[in-house]
Amino acid sequence: MSENITVTINGRAVAAVPGATILDTARASGIDIPTLCYLEGVSDIGMCRLCVVEAEGFENLLPACRTRVKSGMVITTESERLTKYRREMLELILASHDRDCMSCPANGSCELQALCNRFGVKESSYRSPRSVNDKDRCIIDDDPYIRYDPGKCIHCQRCINVCHNIVGNGVLKSGHSGTYHTVETPFGKGWKNFGCENCGNCASVCPTGALTLKREDNFRSWEVTRVRTTCPHCATGCQLDLVVKNNRIVNVEAADGPSNHKRLCVKGRSGSIDFVHSPDRLTAPLIKDRATGEFREVSWEEAISYTARKFLELKNKYGGDSLAGFACSRSANEDIYMVQKMVRTCFGTNNTDNCARVCHSATVTGLAKTLGSGAMTNPIYDITHDVDCIMLIGSNPEEAHPVVGMQIRKAVKNGTRLIVVDPRDIGLSKSADIHLKLRPGTNVAFANGMMNVMINEDLIDHEYIRENTEGFDELKELVREYTPEKVGEICHIDPDKLREAARMYATAERAPIIYCLGVTEHSTGTEGVMCMSDMAALCGKIGRSGCGVNPLRGQNNVQGACDMGAQPTDYPGYQKVDDPEVRTKFEKAWGTALNPKPGLKATEVFPAAIGGNIKGLYICGEDPVVSDPDTHHIIKALESLEFFVVQDLFMTKTARYADVILPGISYAEKEGTFSNTERRVQRIRKAVTLEGGMRPDTDIITDLMNAMGYPQKKLTAAEIMDEIAEVTPSFHGISHERLDREGGLQWPCPDKTHPGTPIMHVGHPARGKALLYPAAYRPSQELPDEEYPFILMTGRILYHYNAAAMTGRAPGLVEISGEGFIEVNFRDAQKLGISNGERIKVSSRRGEITATARVGRKVSEGETWMPFHFEDSPVNVLTNAALDEYARIPEYKVCAVKLEKI
Amino acid sequence: MKKLAARGNMNERIDTVLHKFRSRMSSYPPGMCALTLYRSLLQISMNQSCGKCVPCRDGLVQVEGMLDSILEGTAAPDTPDKIRDMCRMISGTADCAVGISAADLILDSLDEFADEYESHITRHCCVGDTAQTIPCITMCPAHVNVPGYIALIGAEDYAGAVKLIRDRNPFPTACALVCEHPCERKCRRLIIDDAVNIRGLKKYAVDCAPSDSVPNPTKNVSTGKRISIIGAGPSGLTAAYYLALMGHSVTVYEEREKPGGMLRYGIPEYRLPKALLENDIRAILSVGDIELKCNTRVGKDIAFDEIRERSDAVYLALGAQIGNRMPVDGADAENVIPAADFLQLVSSGKAPDLNGKKVALIGGGNVAMDAARTAVRLGAGSVHVFTRKRDDYTALEGEIVGAMQEGVRFRTLLSFLNIETDKETGAVCAVWLQPEIVAEYDKNGMMTTEHSSRYPYRFKCDYLILGVGQRCDTAAFAEAGVPTERGRVIAGTDCIVKDMDGVFSGGDCVTGSSTAINAIAAGQVAAYNIDEYLGYHHKVRCEVKVPDALPNPCIPTGRSELEETDPFERKSTFEPVEISMTYEEAMRESGRCLRCDHHGCGAQKGGRGDV
Repeated sequence: MSENITVTINGRAVAAVPGATILDTARASGIDIPTLCYLEGVSDIGMCRLCVVEAEGFENLLPACRTRVKSGMVITTESERLTKYRREMLELILASHDRDCMSCPANGSCELQALCNRFGVKESSYRSPRSVNDKDRCIIDDDPYIRYDPGKCIHCQRCINVCHNIVGNGVLKSGHSGTYHTVETPFGKGWKNFGCENCGNCASVCPTGALTLKREDNFRSWEVTRVRTTCPHCATGCQLDLVVKNNRIVNVEAADGPSNHKRLCVKGRSGSIDFVHSPDRLTAPLIKDRATGEFREVSWEEAISYTARKFLELKNKYGGDSLAGFACSRSANEDIYMVQKMVRTCFGTNNTDNCARVCHSATVTGLAKTLGSGAMTNPIYDITHDVDCIMLIGSNPEEAHPVVGMQIRKAVKNGTRLIVVDPRDIGLSKSADIHLKLRPGTNVAFANGMMNVMINEDLIDHEYIRENTEGFDELKELVREYTPEKVGEICHIDPDKLREAARMYATAERAPIIYCLGVTEHSTGTEGVMCMSDMAALCGKIGRSGCGVNPLRGQNNVQGACDMGAQPTDYPGYQKVDDPEVRTKFEKAWGTALNPKPGLKATEVFPAAIGGNIKGLYICGEDPVVSDPDTHHIIKALESLEFFVVQDLFMTKTARYADVILPGISYAEKEGTFSNTERRVQRIRKAVTLEGGMRPDTDIITDLMNAMGYPQKKLTAAEIMDEIAEVTPSFHGISHERLDREGGLQWPCPDKTHPGTPIMHVGHPARGKALLYPAAYRPSQELPDEEYPFILMTGRILYHYNAAAMTGRAPGLVEISGEGFIEVNFRDAQKLGISNGERIKVSSRRGEITATARVGRKVSEGETWMPFHFEDSPVNVLTNAALDEYARIPEYKVCAVKLEKI
Repeated sequence: MKKLAARGNMNERIDTVLHKFRSRMSSYPPGMCALTLYRSLLQISMNQSCGKCVPCRDGLVQVEGMLDSILEGTAAPDTPDKIRDMCRMISGTADCAVGISAADLILDSLDEFADEYESHITRHCCVGDTAQTIPCITMCPAHVNVPGYIALIGAEDYAGAVKLIRDRNPFPTACALVCEHPCERKCRRLIIDDAVNIRGLKKYAVDCAPSDSVPNPTKNVSTGKRISIIGAGPSGLTAAYYLALMGHSVTVYEEREKPGGMLRYGIPEYRLPKALLENDIRAILSVGDIELKCNTRVGKDIAFDEIRERSDAVYLALGAQIGNRMPVDGADAENVIPAADFLQLVSSGKAPDLNGKKVALIGGGNVAMDAARTAVRLGAGSVHVFTRKRDDYTALEGEIVGAMQEGVRFRTLLSFLNIETDKETGAVCAVWLQPEIVAEYDKNGMMTTEHSSRYPYRFKCDYLILGVGQRCDTAAFAEAGVPTERGRVIAGTDCIVKDMDGVFSGGDCVTGSSTAINAIAAGQVAAYNIDEYLGYHHKVRCEVKVPDALPNPCIPTGRSELEETDPFERKSTFEPVEISMTYEEAMRESGRCLRCDHHGCGAQKGGRGDV
């Protein structure tokens, strides 16, 4: 790289990086230059001219924020003239700025206020040219969260730039009213139709009180403390600050985390507060009178001893394997570790699992099989910055992982090619170079077709295949028959587009595969995942920056839940329960004999309950009645149980079937860690202590363990992490103390000095050689027929998370989107006489529900799509519990339904 | 989905507005307040602000406010200083040319129009002579009553038109053929479509009524005063004409064989046929009491002091006929000649033999074009014109186009280096030219150039014409005490020569080589001032009544241009190039005149611009 250069600033020789701005250079040398409109990485349009400096040889002043240094430049940042001009700029800005500072939410944090104070500007001697233009000065606040007050806008355009360049949505725009610049915001009348995602990043960058979150009225900057934590929604793992006033969360602010870089989405910013303080929170343990079905509040002593006694009775009567306990992929690693430890040590069974079973178990199983580790191979930043091509398969990150989606949008805007493989027109397919709108359930055929082209056109990496893979010949043999024409027929795609996609992906230097539940949630999900790995391995795109196989995990800590051993086959860190050496190690560590038999998977537990083999179930924080397929079947299973305990924040639909309900606490009330989709272990921290009888989940579990006769010492979250690190080789180097000091760490992190592993499989796959697994295409288990002629897919929308236990309690989110719907192709709608917005009946072999029809072109003919968040349209009544052979993941993405007018 | 710009989009629509805007600007009337214009300019600049940066978007508004307060008469004495501070700040800090140039513009105005600022602040009004006047009359240096004679043409009273022209300009024919027509520059008609073709109409008038056939106005009785005029060019003859009409006795001394000055000896036949020039001269001399002494060179044939002694007043209208030569070796070599000298040779029937020769010409003014086109007509094998930069083509656009059509080749960004002569014959054999590159603009807004790194360029030629200006031969007069400077006589705009009682001077000898109409205007001013100097206030009768104006519907109508003869045919003869208007054209064109003498400012006191 080029050498450093030297410039002179205020008479001092200063080293500068070529290409750096004057501002960068000055700041790096501790020289302060005032700025107002500039925001690093977001906006350097040079509007405010406060950062102007003098430079020898230049008659005009230079804006430091957007002038690059040149070797030998002689710069002056402070002079009488500069101070005078800076003051004048502030006066000019102030002339058009409403000065009702007393009632302004930005009071105290306003950057204009701070600069005026610094430069001694109290009033403006100028008349405002804008005050005559009343039209753009009325407050715009129809949006539930965000408000725009043009009277306070200084037109720095940070909001516009953040929306375009950082969020990549571009709904805030520059406008003009005659000669005046205006900011066109989507927060006025008709706000629902403007495409705004309500992420609030615009409000967070506003230097004044012009763009604010309405809740910012409730506090002033000096009244609050900030607690750095990790977002409790999806697995992106955004870092955020909870803003706390009087033991109450009043706001959420984005922090500069490695996966979000000061971005947040609408859920993170506006869906992370209300549920914590919800009046619906359970505050005391409840025991159900089986006779009346009524719950009564009991003391913790009673709840614990009753629960322990009942489980022990069942264990004694039917054996440990008649019990099962599920951890929650929304809760902290420390909680999950304790749940599986309790199940293994006290229940004496490996019947423990978590809801990864129903989302990404295929990933864990599939990638472990082919690569030796079932996790995302590369970090988000690495696969969304400076990559040549992104192949996005069965993933709608703009809605399900919005902050990842924002970064993909930015990459595509900057020239990255995008291949979208998805049965629906997702937002990103609009900017995709190629959209393969394939038929749901045909991923394996698609991948085989891709590999057919790659092999036939010799686009593959022979050296990588030779050195780092096995099974090439078998794979080659299998994909031979998957010609683009044949695949085109199976997948309903254009063979030419398939060929082009194969060429585009294979020939790109840096190209990640990013996939999600569209790949996993099939009865052939594991094979689908292995095909992803096969494609990457064939092209040598594993173990390299900007490449890899990258499942976007679903929930905030679904990665952690698997890592922590909430799996019937694995102890923490994917150590196998059927490996005697491993078992001996854990028996020694936990001081008790352990069951050598792999347990039942969550999706197998429910049929087993109906079959009478599972008698007692403990569920920490999950809501399978809502979230698991075939609701009636789940309810039947729960009703078959002899004893059922739920530990949760709320009276969920599942909890109604429980015998005991134990009230735990939320992410904002506890210490701990979440592991995001990148395998990055990040801290969550206690921000508030709420009134009521709820207790830390680890304390509840510890009490239960002791009551069941296992001597479990009461540990802090940090101490639990130390125990995890001790028994888990890939976590050996991780501790709360280190996380607090260094930020997140990506496992494997085998020792205290190891920096973590951003990219896996470097050098060679963890497995040694990648297995090229030949998977033949098999159709989904329930295909449309005459009676149920439509395929139903399910998925997420931007504004809600899963069963909406959290997001459903945010009134603003419900206002934005609060009703279940079904996407129907306009041709089908025409045939059935269904119009847009009409409530219709949707039924499958398993049940029927109603939903509001959204008629359009998003889904293809013969296909439909529904979100699973809404109580009024509980879609899992319809879904099919057909399970994948390996991971036992249910086929959420394909079942057959019929649509009827009501 | 990407889209091409739709037809009729906002930019296109605005372009049509801008076209109108430009018309409005090019017809900006004379006599307007500079500050109101600066305010408009500032507002346009503000309109062009994208609204991004504070100095431009918010600062310019404040400047506008201060400018408003000055125009409203509410400004404090230090307001210009505040404007200066603010503009310096904006110019120093704005991000792009929109803000920087807007501020610089206002900064310029503070210096250029300090008097106007001062006047508005202290007296709450414009400087004294600010008043909107009729564009054509004001712009014509001689203030000819243009709307009046156009109306007369429209009424088919061509003799009346000639009379009315002659009231201010006794050379209606010469000006009909060669005038640079500044009268058309700000014609109000530009607002609607295009300027009235005033010169073309004048040509039509003299076609129909030859000037020597139109009687002069009634002459005053004899005053007994004797005026001597030195130089029988347009300025001298104009002065002679009016002075004679006032009753004075005039003697005109002319060095050459025939009167007419540069009109005769400088302008080629194809533009101004001598026969037509004679019409004007004949008409002038027919006033009577004008004694024309040709072949009389002052300083040689007669002493200047003698003339002064004999006269009550003297008008020096010497003209500027001596072509400049560059101070380089070979400038005096054979076949190197200044353009003016070349034209004079040709006009005197002593044309050099250029047949098949390669002619090079340095310079791009009207004289250079005349020389180039004359060289073509003399059968030159090729004629190349070299200038340093595009701006050096100061000739009328029509002259340049005409020359191009006739095969003259134009080269720019070549500056003159030196002349190479043949060692044996001593005649020019090549001219060396230095390639140039364009550089910054100078203070006057003119582009400058600097030497390119390319090697000098040798252009072989047989004949080199230097079209680099003329000067006046002032030697004899300087000896006699007339103040001169670098080939010019020093005199004021009133034509008075300071400290030389009774001596007046005007035209090219004072201004340097300029246009005929400027010389004519000077002759007229000199005549009236000489009359006044002698203690009179004689009036010259006009004897024409201008027809009443009709309401003008302002319907956009095309401008009738004068057609020219075929370039390939005309380039081998000295026959006139221009073809006159037809009757229909003349009627339509005269109907386009908006009669600003009747409508608008012309109807009010001081609104005509001809005093």
